[in-house]
Amino acid sequence: MAVPESRPIQTVLIANRGEIARRIIRTCRRLGLRVVALHTDTDRAALHAREADVAVAVGSYLDIDEVVAAAVAAGADAVHPGYGFLSERAEFAAALDAAGITLVGPSAAVMEQMGRKDRARAIAVAAGVPVVPSYEVADDPASFAYPVLVKAAAGGGGKGMRVVRTQAEYADAVAAARREAAAAFGDDTLLVEKYVESGRHIEVQVLGDTHGTVVHLFERDCSTQRRHQKVLEEAPAPTISEQVRESVTAAAVALAREVGYTGAGTVEFLFDNASDQAYFLEMNTRLQVEHPVTELAVSVAGRSPDLVELQLRVAAGEPLPFTQADVAITGHAIEARVYAEDPWAGFLPQAGTASYVRWPAGEGGGSAGGPADDGGAAGSVRVDHALVSGSVVSTSYDPMLGKVIAAGADREQARRRLVAALDETAVLGLTTNAGFLRALVASPEFRDAAIDTAWLDHSEPARPDQAIPLVLAAWAEAAHHTRDAGAGPVGADPFAADGWRLAGDPAPIRVELEGDPLVRLTGPGVGEVHGFGVREVERSRLGPGETWHLQLELSGPELKPEDGTRHSAYVSSARHQVEVAHRGQRWVFERPDVFGDHVAAAGDGTLVAPMPGTVREVRVAVGQQVSEGEVLGIMEAMKMELALRAHFDGQVSEVAAVVGAQVALGAILFQVDPARPAPELAAPPAPADVITEEPHDQRS
Amino acid sequence: MVANLAAMSLHDLTAELRERLALVRQGGSPSAREKHLARGKLLVRDRVDRLLDPGSPFLEVAPLAAWGLYGRPGDGSPDSRPDDNAVPSAGLVTGIGRVAGREVMVVANDATVKGGTYYPLTVKKHLRAQTIAAENNLPCVYLVDSGGAFLPMQDEVFPDREHFGRIFFNQANLSARGIPQIASVMGSCTAGGAYVPAMSDETVIVKEQGTIFLGGPPLVQAATGEVVTAEELGGGEVHARTSGVVDHLAEDDAHALAIVRSIVETLPPRVGYDVAARPAYEVAEVEAPHEDPSTLYDVVPTDTRTPYDVREVIRRVVDGSRIHEFKKLYGETLVCGFARIHGHPVGIVANNGILFSESALKGAHFIELCNARNIPLVFLQNITGFMVGREYENRGIARDGAKLVTAVATSVVPKFTVVIGGSFGAGNYGMCGRAYDPRFLWMWPNARISVMGGEQAASVLATVRSDLTTPEQTEAFKAPIREQYETQGSPYYSTARLWDDGIIDPADTRRVLAMGLAVAAQAPVPAPSYGIFRM
Repeated sequence: MAVPESRPIQTVLIANRGEIARRIIRTCRRLGLRVVALHTDTDRAALHAREADVAVAVGSYLDIDEVVAAAVAAGADAVHPGYGFLSERAEFAAALDAAGITLVGPSAAVMEQMGRKDRARAIAVAAGVPVVPSYEVADDPASFAYPVLVKAAAGGGGKGMRVVRTQAEYADAVAAARREAAAAFGDDTLLVEKYVESGRHIEVQVLGDTHGTVVHLFERDCSTQRRHQKVLEEAPAPTISEQVRESVTAAAVALAREVGYTGAGTVEFLFDNASDQAYFLEMNTRLQVEHPVTELAVSVAGRSPDLVELQLRVAAGEPLPFTQADVAITGHAIEARVYAEDPWAGFLPQAGTASYVRWPAGEGGGSAGGPADDGGAAGSVRVDHALVSGSVVSTSYDPMLGKVIAAGADREQARRRLVAALDETAVLGLTTNAGFLRALVASPEFRDAAIDTAWLDHSEPARPDQAIPLVLAAWAEAAHHTRDAGAGPVGADPFAADGWRLAGDPAPIRVELEGDPLVRLTGPGVGEVHGFGVREVERSRLGPGETWHLQLELSGPELKPEDGTRHSAYVSSARHQVEVAHRGQRWVFERPDVFGDHVAAAGDGTLVAPMPGTVREVRVAVGQQVSEGEVLGIMEAMKMELALRAHFDGQVSEVAAVVGAQVALGAILFQVDPARPAPELAAPPAPADVITEEPHDQRS
Repeated sequence: MVANLAAMSLHDLTAELRERLALVRQGGSPSAREKHLARGKLLVRDRVDRLLDPGSPFLEVAPLAAWGLYGRPGDGSPDSRPDDNAVPSAGLVTGIGRVAGREVMVVANDATVKGGTYYPLTVKKHLRAQTIAAENNLPCVYLVDSGGAFLPMQDEVFPDREHFGRIFFNQANLSARGIPQIASVMGSCTAGGAYVPAMSDETVIVKEQGTIFLGGPPLVQAATGEVVTAEELGGGEVHARTSGVVDHLAEDDAHALAIVRSIVETLPPRVGYDVAARPAYEVAEVEAPHEDPSTLYDVVPTDTRTPYDVREVIRRVVDGSRIHEFKKLYGETLVCGFARIHGHPVGIVANNGILFSESALKGAHFIELCNARNIPLVFLQNITGFMVGREYENRGIARDGAKLVTAVATSVVPKFTVVIGGSFGAGNYGMCGRAYDPRFLWMWPNARISVMGGEQAASVLATVRSDLTTPEQTEAFKAPIREQYETQGSPYYSTARLWDDGIIDPADTRRVLAMGLAVAAQAPVPAPSYGIFRM
């Protein structure tokens, strides 16, 4: 790359991990740059560390001194911070500057300015950018247009935030928010602003160079979010008018100019569905997770932009190689974030080893050993991920495993391609939200762009039904049993499981899974399972284990028309269970364990860790009387707090939980002996409650 | 009736076989089955299906045992039919299937058939299953649900060497040989029957369903005056917790069967099977016959009197329809040759006409070859007998026949016999009839078996009678003899009495032979030694 002599970049240190580190490495490789990766102990074998030219061990990705020292030692000219971690830490920018290393991002001063919501707002107002109507905390609450949101100026993540719907609640809400803000951020400054009941999250991608040029690459819509965690993002925004588009993009550019922004940044707006108004929320001074949708939907001088490349060029002091007039929306792209979480079980974070991973075919996707049939949509699907078969997912870091992005000429084409891509996304060994994403993208609400920022907090897409996955599992198992039956009148093994009976009809193959489904083979590759007619289209073994790709053509009265006839699945058979990934969803069918009932199971009065995490609080001691529902302790895992409640009245007989201790999934934390041999004993243990309750935050 | 048989094609005969099998497979009367199910019990064949690995084939042994026996005989009037199915399958399901990846012998009582009591044929069938297990080193799984001996016939069930007691004798000796004996008590298990679980290596009982006691509550009350319920006397809880007669307590049938499967999984490799040792012979890649076995129906005439080339049958049984024929040009009425069935090498001995001295000598030589080479023998039996007449007797056909019989009798390799047509006279011996201990003997539905043909027997008997002067008298004398031979020569008459291990669909010949070979392959074969061949 042609770089000014003053700030040549030859070696880039990536101060990040996971998919974004890999995505930055891809661009660096293409540009011929040397890459230095960081890794912690946990990440020693991580993909990004393996793919870099050099990998340097650090204690934490968040330790500024360590990261800067690593950059100096590795001879890096520039540091790309990715997103999260140190990407928006002004101290980090300053420390790099002091070390003579270029940060791929804006200056410390700009970060500082944009990092505080009140200051950012003031700048926006100065730049003529529309902001959410706000009030002074001390203003007469009678003059407010309710509902209003009271929130901490320094905050985020819902802390120190209250929705106030009537004037009467105002005083209490302010007091509470102030207390929380002081506790969480050491700063009890509050803001009061209009609360938008139904809004969409619109954000504008901007780019500024060191020569004073600022352009935008149009907007994205990230309204499909849950508790401020973005789930689906797309570009361009599907519901805004051209007028709104012009106004937000112009406002974003104006704001970036106002602060002398350099590099890639994102200006976020809250679009009020009721008033058709977009209000400035905040500016993110980094590359966004969802930047690929811009790269796929927008063209710059006729080509797909590479935002990381542009970031690096700007950091090297080059002028942007195009003008605003070269930028156009040429299609539509939608991104789905794949997380290690179980959306159908309260979004509980998941951890473990991904025994088999298959990403859809396309740029960055596909998997060794997997079928590469992409249905002709290659080039329209992109996968940015950091998960391959055998990867271990821990709870130490962000649970995002990857992103599946589909592009099309229009939104509907992109959406259909994304559904198809998620159908071909399979993770076994570990539950992900891919099935949820698939259901969401396929839902009429998303199709009609009717999902606002609050929708997922009160609704969910149609849950997939287990009938078809069970048919797939049963068929795979039956095929597995009969695999030696081979071709011809009788195969190699005369005892191969074809159900043969002496001068009688063959016995069906009883698959020992839930409900003991019966598989009747009526011919080679043809049969019947649970009222479904089955014709096997494809069955191929993936790798050395018992993992199969299966494609069946289903028929019969049990089949709902909306489900379609062709069903593809990845099936893994193990001693105690069969796993199926079907339409993104992982299903685990347990085999009955004959001696299972002889084993004294932890249950009833035993409280076990519902997920791996840290014990935050222990509220009881041995011998203490507790009543049903009483909180015995609190666990924290990922961003959630879990209350461990007594299942019935009784006495605490064991406290294994220790505050601060890391506990594994299923670890016994408390034991309660019942006060009476009550029928409650027969009731299934109640799941731990998620006690995180946040108001509907307008911020991302 | 001969004409009748000839009129029925092999296809029709097979259809009749399937019908009869479907009938016996229903088990006892509808009301008995309903009662059984109402108790939460599984029907015996469902128990077997659940015991076996999913989709496992099941080589049922003698499913038509007791067919036509024990029932009310027909009185000859058109609307009176004999009750052929009075004791379906002799109230016992036996056969070989795969459990936890290995073949086992299953012996399962059908409580819907006279309470699962033991008729004479039930005992014989149980013992036959144990013999097969002993010869082939198969673990035995007994699914017990039986009221014990059928008391009205106690004289035919209880006292003799091959009667009820032999079951437990066999259990002890099989166990002594390291052949696992596993029982699951799924119903009553009374008196002598109590020894089946008690003599087993490992035993399961179903809670509130299985009972084991030497004397039931009525007998106890009669003997001692003690009043006790069956459950208190010998229920699952008692035996699992107190008496220790059983080792595992199951919730229900399905659970019990799952426990049995789990037990089989823990068994060591088969006795005599040394995984490190070279197998007795090399099993080749399997090749389907080039001629579809189901076309057998078209090439075999039903009337045993119609000659056809037995090679048509062989081609539909062996791998690649290929046979390496031995002495093709000598003793042509006996076809001998090496072939493979499901990869297993076999020596085929098949009749292609009456036996002459040359054919007998050829057969004896070939059997010696198979023994020397450790190759299992398959006899395809369709034999009216040895050639008779002065010339042949004078040349010593008896001597040559004896050589063949000696070779067959002393042969040590596994032998399998399929009666594909007639089985008459000394031909039965030379071609490895039941008395010659083939590992399995199956019959086709067109088979006939008797010491000689009905016509010949009638003529022989008529000849020794001096009082038959007119043709009418002779005919009147001969007719019932012919009729008797006709009835007793039927494969159903044979299979009802356990003279064979079952009537098979001819198209399944290759399949059942392959199963037999697979089962036999892992039992050790001793070194051959012969008696004196009369030279």
